[in-house]
Amino acid sequence: MTIATQRFDDNPCRPRHFKPPPCGAIVPNGPAKQALQVCRTRLLVTGGLFALVFAVVALRIVEIVAVGGGTAESQIGRFRVVTAPAPSHADIVDRNGNVLAATLDSPSLYANPKQIVDAAEATNKLVRVFPTLGAGEVYAKLTSGKSFVWIRRHLTPAEQHDVNQLGIPGLEFEHEERRVYPDGDLTSHVVGYTGIDNAGFAGVERGLDGVLKERREPLQLSLDVRLQYILHEELQRVIDDFTAKGGAGLIMDVNSGEILAMASLPDFDPNHPATPDPDHPNISLADRMFDRITLGVYELGSIFKIFTVAMALEAGTSTISSTYDASHPLKIGRFTISDYHGKHRVLSVPEILMYSSNIGAARMAVAAGAQTQREFLSRLGLLKTPKIEVSEVAAPHYPAKWREVNVMTIAFGHGISVTPLSFATAAAALVNGGILRQATLVKLPVGNAPQGQQVISTKTSEQMRRLMRLVVEHGTGTMAAAPGYVVGGKTGTADKVSGRHYAERKLLSSFVGVFPINDPKYLVLTMVDEPHPNKRSHGYATAGWTVAPATSRIIERIAPLLGVQPVDESSPEVQRALMVESLQGKRVEAY
Amino acid sequence: MIKLSTLFWLVLVSTTGFAMFAVKYGVQSLEDELNRTKKAIIAEEHAIRSDGAEWAYLTRPETLDEMNRRHLSLGPIATKQLRTTLTDIPLRAAGPTAVDAPVVAVAEPPAESAPPTILASTIAPASLEKPTEAAELAKPAPAKAFAKPVPLRRPRSLDELIAQVAASR
Repeated sequence: MTIATQRFDDNPCRPRHFKPPPCGAIVPNGPAKQALQVCRTRLLVTGGLFALVFAVVALRIVEIVAVGGGTAESQIGRFRVVTAPAPSHADIVDRNGNVLAATLDSPSLYANPKQIVDAAEATNKLVRVFPTLGAGEVYAKLTSGKSFVWIRRHLTPAEQHDVNQLGIPGLEFEHEERRVYPDGDLTSHVVGYTGIDNAGFAGVERGLDGVLKERREPLQLSLDVRLQYILHEELQRVIDDFTAKGGAGLIMDVNSGEILAMASLPDFDPNHPATPDPDHPNISLADRMFDRITLGVYELGSIFKIFTVAMALEAGTSTISSTYDASHPLKIGRFTISDYHGKHRVLSVPEILMYSSNIGAARMAVAAGAQTQREFLSRLGLLKTPKIEVSEVAAPHYPAKWREVNVMTIAFGHGISVTPLSFATAAAALVNGGILRQATLVKLPVGNAPQGQQVISTKTSEQMRRLMRLVVEHGTGTMAAAPGYVVGGKTGTADKVSGRHYAERKLLSSFVGVFPINDPKYLVLTMVDEPHPNKRSHGYATAGWTVAPATSRIIERIAPLLGVQPVDESSPEVQRALMVESLQGKRVEAY
Repeated sequence: MIKLSTLFWLVLVSTTGFAMFAVKYGVQSLEDELNRTKKAIIAEEHAIRSDGAEWAYLTRPETLDEMNRRHLSLGPIATKQLRTTLTDIPLRAAGPTAVDAPVVAVAEPPAESAPPTILASTIAPASLEKPTEAAELAKPAPAKAFAKPVPLRRPRSLDELIAQVAASR
């Protein structure tokens, strides 16, 4: 829009430049004036807005400078929380927070020879810090004329400090990560070890490698190093006492499935797994790395009888007062089943378990039938590969065709090989009220046991507890007793398979103990591979003389740590809880 | 009038400009300090991690057990030593025998015919045919604990352990 100007010149002769310019004052009324007014208003509003914004900026600056801009704390949210770059793998700790595996920053020393001023002096100084380095070698490196040579990998913090103190220009550190296992061989099979780049090679390190990579917080295992130490020490003692080939054991919370300790001997030091053990140089690396609990499958022998009895009671094919003839060895095909220390008479169900009668157990199983037996063992998870957080697990071996002879041998733990882990998981279900819970190495929140699966009735479970107490009170496991802690259990001495036959005098002795059996809390499984009799055991290397006393010692040592209060075993309440009706009033014959 | 407003704006501009620079330099120096602190925190965290590992190494059950054998000779708690109810706690024994009894020993009630308590007999478990750790540990510090040299492979500190690890790979 253009403003139409109307000239009002009072004097037309006036020179042009004297003419008054058109200005606001002479703008006449009309549309032009109105347009100008609009223009002014707009300018004023825009200018006002700019002034306001500048005023805000200015005020803010004054506030920041003069008033302080609020407290420093109010600004924290604007900054990222600073932490060290997370290690590539999270730490592993035990249930009480003791470090089992840690990733440490370990510096490696390298040199840039081009920047080294005096190679001879630098060599002298370096050799003083690292006496194992050869002076000639270091000097050759420093005068090589390259721009990068490793002097030494993985320094300790103290060595790094010393090198810094030397103040030699041209020496630099490269930071690398190193996985360290402070407890060494104590938790070797459970925690496992890592290789280059901290990739898990065994144990939890491998089984939970992905989890460890993603976590920042330490991974808390269900393990308790104190119990682990006790178990480890007692197993080693049994192995030494009976010059055995190896041993293994685990301690489990029967009500949650948490494994509190798990050891397999001989073992290795995860800090340097490939280095031979100077104490036992003739034990092969493969032997030491082998985890007998999760990777070994064994014919566990008589401790399997607890499953036979539970099956027969659960299926109703036997009652607690049923009797079976164990007076003569049982012949089937080319096999003869006999008792180790036979009573040569008719035995009741409690007696079969107490005196560990193979004949009785075989007859019980035959009465129940192959189908029932197979179905029962399958329900307890004994016919499938166990699931656990370590990567080394083995599948059980059992006959494809379940014939009568298999029924008989499986009844006393031969002809079926399972991992001790599967066994312990199933045994826990027998005593804890019949609930099967998967074993775990990761700590569960307190009072948050997994749901589990009811595999036997609470009544059968209660009967099993009474029967297992009988074994320790009067039967083959008397040496497992730990006064006050009401131990119940079962011994098992199996002949080892060698090729296609059972080897003579090569035994696998094992003991499963539960305490306190009147209110089961913990299960202790111990086994020793090829024990040899010694003088103190009067020529025996059976479970009752080897692992049963070890179990007693273990329980006496761990119970106070676990907060289990000893009770008076002869008190009426305990007696009532563990009474076996069919034996009431009878004299129980000692084993 | 115009001059006054110009002066006002000039003063305002220069003040703001000065303030801007002051804030900028302030922020820069704070950022430097923040970076230094960040680095210090990272170094501290590494130190904490390695101290944590060192602590775990020095408090291994094995080390504690050895030190216990050497200096304290404590044994596992025997069932007999645990008193679960108030009535189980015996009254102070009368006579001179009580004076001789060590503080840790649980004195038997005088009414019983039990012999005066001494430490070893109190700790010894009920079943005598089965000597346990308690009885063994209750003996004076065993000489073999001193004589037995620490195996070579057992590093004394975490530094040594790391050095061993480095050497083995």
